[in-house]
Amino acid sequence: MRWLRYLNQWRGTAKEAFDQVSIVAKFLCLLHVTDRYIISSTHVQGPSMLPTLNLTGDVILAEHVSHRFGKIGLGDVVLVRSPTDPMKMVTKRVLGLEGHRLSFFADPLVGDDSVNVVVPKGHVWIQGDNVHASTDSRNFGPVPYDLIEGKALLRVWPLRCFGSLR
Amino acid sequence: MAEISKPMAWNGEGSIGASINRRQVSLFDPRHRSLHNLIHSRPSMLPTLNLTGDVILAEHLSHRFGKIGLGDIVLVRSPTDPTRMVTKRVLGLEGHKLSFSADPLVGDGSVSVVVPKGHVWIQGDNLYASTDSRNFGPVPYSLVEGKALLRVWPPRFFGSLR
Repeated sequence: MRWLRYLNQWRGTAKEAFDQVSIVAKFLCLLHVTDRYIISSTHVQGPSMLPTLNLTGDVILAEHVSHRFGKIGLGDVVLVRSPTDPMKMVTKRVLGLEGHRLSFFADPLVGDDSVNVVVPKGHVWIQGDNVHASTDSRNFGPVPYDLIEGKALLRVWPLRCFGSLR
Repeated sequence: MAEISKPMAWNGEGSIGASINRRQVSLFDPRHRSLHNLIHSRPSMLPTLNLTGDVILAEHLSHRFGKIGLGDIVLVRSPTDPTRMVTKRVLGLEGHKLSFSADPLVGDGSVSVVVPKGHVWIQGDNLYASTDSRNFGPVPYSLVEGKALLRVWPPRFFGSLR
């Protein structure tokens, strides 16, 4: 009956392997939920938020809880899904909530003509801090509130710039 | 997690979503489930959906792979009210040229519009009683949250939505 013994050994090993794999799977699920719905680190780069965020790329911590409770306020740096490219996320500052009246220069390099706009209901107006090198609501208009996916908390990399984004 | 595994095992699409999203912050958040029931009771989608309320099954996988096509009935988060979901039909994808009557009850003035990149044009089947893209313009694609599969209630209308 040696094959019965082998079967029992195999069963024990299989159970142990399954337990280990399920621990890893649970951890990955927890990691995914935390990263997507609670807090995550994001690498942002680009010139559109100079001087707040560096050109060469920063790692910031962003939380994904406030926007579900409507706690996005004026001046917050938010992570927004781009309305022109659903695969891309952009980082901009909220400069207008629904009902606010805003005026901005249609093209800051050319002339002085300014455009007045009222942010419609359910939308926000986002703008990069670097008005000369940012495609934002001045280009694609106010974005629906639901495209906001997170609010930036603080910068963690590079280390010399560690701290809040002000 | 046995109590949510039963509706998840509806078909092949649903089971993948269940195994990955085992630990959910909220068990009944429709964003996480790959299938859920939706009760719809507005006149904007007559005659496809009834006035008195239908329950439809909607899946939340296709829009993540970009598989929303023309003529699909989709669940979209309203751009005017972020807490509300609306059910409309997709009548234009990005780059399509559309023309519609600005107000179907008054006159013939028709407006031509090109759907910008990353947006879709949604419209209710009941043109006279629907606020849709004719009112709030094309909506960004990522506001689409699900695609309607079939109607499950009332039972005499069980089946696909055509």
